[in-house]
Amino acid sequence: MPDLPVMVIGGGPCGMEATRGISDLGYNVVLVDKAEFLGGNPIAGDYAALTPDMRNAEDAMNEMIEAITDNPLIEIRLNSSVVAAEGKAPDLSVTVKNGKGDEKIDVGSVIISTGFQHFDPGKETQIYGYYEYDDVITLVDVERMLKAGKFVRPSTGEKPKQVCFIQCVGSRDRQIGNQWCSKVCCGIATKEAIEIRDLVPDCKVFVFYIDMRMYGFWEDELYWKAQEEKQVNFIRGIVTEITLRGDGVVVKGEDTTMGRPMEIPMDVVILSIGMEPSKGSTEMAKLFDIPLESHGFIETIGGALNTVQTSAPGIFAAGASTGPADLEDSISMGGAAALKACAFIRKSQLQTA
Amino acid sequence: MSIYKDAKYMDVPFEEKQKLFDQVKGDMRWDHIFNGCYECGICVAACPSARFYDFSPRVFVQTLEREDIDTFYELMNDSVWDCSQCFSCTRCPRESNPGALITVMREVAVNNGLNSAKEALKAYSRIIYKIMSTGTQVAPDMLQPDAFPDWGPHVKEISDNLEYWRRALPPETLHTVELAWDVSVETRLELFMIWKLTGNLEMIENIDEGIFMILEEVMEELLEEHGYDLDDYENVIED
Repeated sequence: MPDLPVMVIGGGPCGMEATRGISDLGYNVVLVDKAEFLGGNPIAGDYAALTPDMRNAEDAMNEMIEAITDNPLIEIRLNSSVVAAEGKAPDLSVTVKNGKGDEKIDVGSVIISTGFQHFDPGKETQIYGYYEYDDVITLVDVERMLKAGKFVRPSTGEKPKQVCFIQCVGSRDRQIGNQWCSKVCCGIATKEAIEIRDLVPDCKVFVFYIDMRMYGFWEDELYWKAQEEKQVNFIRGIVTEITLRGDGVVVKGEDTTMGRPMEIPMDVVILSIGMEPSKGSTEMAKLFDIPLESHGFIETIGGALNTVQTSAPGIFAAGASTGPADLEDSISMGGAAALKACAFIRKSQLQTA
Repeated sequence: MSIYKDAKYMDVPFEEKQKLFDQVKGDMRWDHIFNGCYECGICVAACPSARFYDFSPRVFVQTLEREDIDTFYELMNDSVWDCSQCFSCTRCPRESNPGALITVMREVAVNNGLNSAKEALKAYSRIIYKIMSTGTQVAPDMLQPDAFPDWGPHVKEISDNLEYWRRALPPETLHTVELAWDVSVETRLELFMIWKLTGNLEMIENIDEGIFMILEEVMEELLEEHGYDLDDYENVIED
């Protein structure tokens, strides 16, 4: 049996799947997360339902947590941060810091699954008055409400009559500096639009978009469903500004396919914020001496044929730490990284034997 | 309240617009012809009317898709009659049918006596009358040189001797001048009963009262002449 474990950094869906995969292959694994819980963004962000199958997010995460609990091959360290790394895989010494102090752990390989962070619509310049108007919220704020089984206008607590989503907030924008598409916001907004229509049937829901990126089965299972069965209004044209009128807000934009100017009062405006590299991801790249790719995510060097390989042998990166990723991408990459990390340890043992 | 800053017909009560929209959406064909729109434009590219007029089948589907009542009313007024009903638009990848949606919208416009319907059908009074009273449309005596100069120099010669030329056609039923072919009284009466019983007569009354009155007068006279009682329609149809 191999002696040295694989260290998985980040206990979101990707890291949990990597952990499960490593233990399934019979190798030891140490899972480290700085939070006091497992589950990553779906738990930290109080996600209600997953896209596209609308499965309860907490249930799904609990299923993943259960799969890595009470397994002698798995050691889980919460409230812990990776603060230093010495040596080269498979002879790495990684320092993990927690409330009790620092501890050095010898590991044979590392998987970085530190994920993404939600774009903050007030980070540099105020976008759409997110921090100014109570009724301008984000996709994540909606998840929190939906998880509590309600959807209300934040300023009044009443049921809204007209709401809209604004797509690509913090994505596909040269001025903001984030040129990438965050991949999931179209699907999530559409999923939330369906949930809002179900919860508040007389509320009109608009989605203002640049392109709807509803790849694969999201097309008919979410997009067409939202249009045809839930009467969600998809309008191609991005809102240019949100202004205050009376006790509500008004969105202004162009309906590009109709070629007409719009001005619509909204009870709630939902900003479809995208993904950015998480702080953890950039820190880990630095710590393990792996370059970031041009957008600021951890660089993988294998292109389409090897999605988890970094320039440092034995150090793998997976999930949204490497770029925008949906749940399927993240979990698939977690599995791929587990396989590669175990193979890396096995190959090095065969060489030394 | 329209979503557009440049919305028209804002003086028309919203309830009136909503009523018309509900009739369109409530049509039994709706589920078969409407599946939403992602604004790809394939219908516009295939549409002959869109080539020559400010008309777009896409705008119809996306307006219905959005349930945008004010814009729907604009279409009912401004462009529902610009479609040639050729159904080239049925290549829709979502299997929506813009042409058929326009058919339904036109029927609702006619049934509600909308001005746009009256305007559009004004030029067709004679044709409506002819079809509804005889079942035929274009008659040989319409072949007049001044009416259709582009039909060429022979038209005058033909129109001067119309009866003679018609007699040259082998089937006797085509030896007609005022009708495209010979229509029996029984056919005319049966046709009239069909218009009446299917509600078409009522529809015409909403659109063109003059035509309706002439039609009813002429046909009732014909019925009476042949000993039929208008209220005893089973009798008329059986004969």
